[in-house]
Amino acid sequence: MLNPLQQTVLQLGLYLFTGSLESVLAYLDLLLPTCMRTIAEINEKIQQQKAVVWTVEELKARVVEQGIAAVAKQVDVITTGTFEPMEASGAILNLGHTDPPIKIRRCWLDGVPAYSGFGAVDLFLGAAQSTETPEGEEPRELGGGHVIEALIGGKTVHLRALGQVTDCYPRASFETTITRDTINQFYLFNPRNLYQNFIVGVNGGDRLLHTYLGPLQPRLGNAVYSNPGAIAPLFNDPKLQLVGVGTRIFLGGGIGYITWEGTQHFPLQKRLPNQTPIGPAATLALIGDAKQMSTRWVRGCYFKHYGPSLMLGVGVPFPVLTEEVVAHCAVQDQDLVAPVVDFSIPRRVRPTFGLVSYAQLKSGRIQIEGKPVRVAPLASIYLSRQVATELKAWIEAGEFTLTEAVAPITSDRTFLPQDVWGSQMVMD
Amino acid sequence: MPVTYRLAKDFNVAANIIRAQVAPNQIGKLVVELSGDIDQLDAAIEWMRSQEIGVSSSSREIVIDEESCVHCGLCTGVCPTEALTLDPTTFRLAFARSRCIVCEQCVATCPVEAISVNL
Ligand code: SF4
Ligand code: SF4
Repeated sequence: MLNPLQQTVLQLGLYLFTGSLESVLAYLDLLLPTCMRTIAEINEKIQQQKAVVWTVEELKARVVEQGIAAVAKQVDVITTGTFEPMEASGAILNLGHTDPPIKIRRCWLDGVPAYSGFGAVDLFLGAAQSTETPEGEEPRELGGGHVIEALIGGKTVHLRALGQVTDCYPRASFETTITRDTINQFYLFNPRNLYQNFIVGVNGGDRLLHTYLGPLQPRLGNAVYSNPGAIAPLFNDPKLQLVGVGTRIFLGGGIGYITWEGTQHFPLQKRLPNQTPIGPAATLALIGDAKQMSTRWVRGCYFKHYGPSLMLGVGVPFPVLTEEVVAHCAVQDQDLVAPVVDFSIPRRVRPTFGLVSYAQLKSGRIQIEGKPVRVAPLASIYLSRQVATELKAWIEAGEFTLTEAVAPITSDRTFLPQDVWGSQMVMD
Repeated sequence: MPVTYRLAKDFNVAANIIRAQVAPNQIGKLVVELSGDIDQLDAAIEWMRSQEIGVSSSSREIVIDEESCVHCGLCTGVCPTEALTLDPTTFRLAFARSRCIVCEQCVATCPVEAISVNL
C-alpha cells in the first residue's frame, strides 16, 4: 500500500515522464482542494469564536448565487440535521445496587419491559417496546420511547424487577421509582439511526393499512415519506467521507458520537451520478448521554395499530476541508430520489412504482400511474431545520468542536436477507 | 341514567355519554352525543325541554396542542378536506378551521397525540 503522498509523487512522476506540463498542472489543481483547511485549523477558529458556520440550507442558497469555489473559500463548517422517528433506538440504564443486592432477570419501567440479560442492574430499554397489557385489556398506546422521554423530562418512572436468587445476589424482587437523577448511567445507544435515504410508502390494495409510516389509505389514497431530503445529514456526505467512528454530533439536544455502522447498513445501494443512493443505504449507530438531552428533541410516539417508536433530533457538522465537500452539500431536492413502495404486498421485497424526487415529494403531491396522490412527510422538516440551526449556534459560540474520525464507516457491506428467495430491493 | 333510558326506549335515540357532572339530587351537566332519526331527535329534544332539562347543542371541534405538535405533517396526508396542511416554506402545520368537517381522521393519525376533539 502506498500512502497518499507516495501516490502523489508517483503519479506526478508518471505525468512528468509521459505527459505535457499542462497535465502536471491539471493534476496539481486536482490536489489543491485537499489543502483548503484542516479540522485542527477549524477548531482553532471555533475556539476563538471566529469560525464561519452555515446551515446546509444557507449553503445551498449561496452556492446557487456564488458558485462552489467562492462559497468554499468562505465557510468553515456546514451543519445538517434531521428529526424523524427512529425506532431502532434505546437507552442503557444502570440502577445502582440495592441492599441486599439483586441480579435482575426481568424488569418493567412504567409497565414497559426492559432487557436485563447482562449486568446485574444494567437495563436496555428499547424505543419500540410496547407495554405489557393484561389479557382482555385494550393495549395502552405507550412504549419505550415514551418512558425514555419521561426520564429525559425529569419525570418519575415506576420500576418493577424480578431477580434470580444466587449466593451473591440474594434478593428476588424489587420495586421503586426512578428519575434520571437517581440512576447512574443513562445514555441512548441506538443501533440504527440516520438512514441515508428511505422509501415512500403507498397502499395499492383495497384495505386501510396501519404501518410504521402511519396509516396508508387504500387505492393509493395517500403516500408517506420519512426522510427530510436535501437537508438530511447523509445526503450531503453521500460516500461518508466526513463522518466515521468517533465523530461528535448533536444527539437529542446533547452531545453524542457515531459509534459504528448502523444495523442494515447498506452502502452498496444503487446510486445516482451525484453519488446519492436511490433507496435505503448507509445507517449509523449513535451514542449519547441522555442526561444532557431535552424532550424538545426526544419524543416518544405511537403509530396506531403498529406500535411505539421514538422521534429523535440528530445533527451532524461537516468540516469544509475541500471544495468537494461544498459540491456534495449543494445537492438539491430535485437531485435526490426515493422509491415508491406498495405496502399492500406483505413481502420483504415489495413491488415499487418507480422513483420520485424529493422536490416532488415536498410539493405535497406525486403522480402514480397517472393518478395524483397526496404526500405527507413523517420527518419534521421544521424541526430538522431547527436541529441544524441549534448546532450552528453551539459551534458559533465555541461550545462544540469538530472531531477527526477514529476509523471509517465500512463502504462495502452487503445486505443479506434471512432467506434465499428474492433479492434485496430491486429498483430498476 | 333514566333520561338516556327514556331517549332510547321512547324515541329510539342512542345517547353516548361523553362527560357527566352529576351528583345525587343535584342539578348537573351531561354532555351526550345523540344519534337517531332526525324527526325523533327533534322530538326527543322537545321532550327533554318539557322535562325542564336545559338543552343546548354544541359542536365538536378539533384542537391542536401547539406545545406537543412536532410538525411532522403526517396528519396532512389523511385530512380529506385539506384543513390541515404544511406551510410550503416554513413546513409548519397550518390548520384552517373553516374547512374542518370534524371527521377525526387526524386524531388517531397523530403519533404524538397532539390532536384532540373538544366539546
Ligand atoms: S377532523 Fe377531519 S377534516 Fe378536520 S382536520 Fe381532522 S382530518 Fe381534517
Ligand atoms: S400529526 Fe400531530 S405532530 Fe404531526 S403535524 Fe399533525 S398534529 Fe403535528
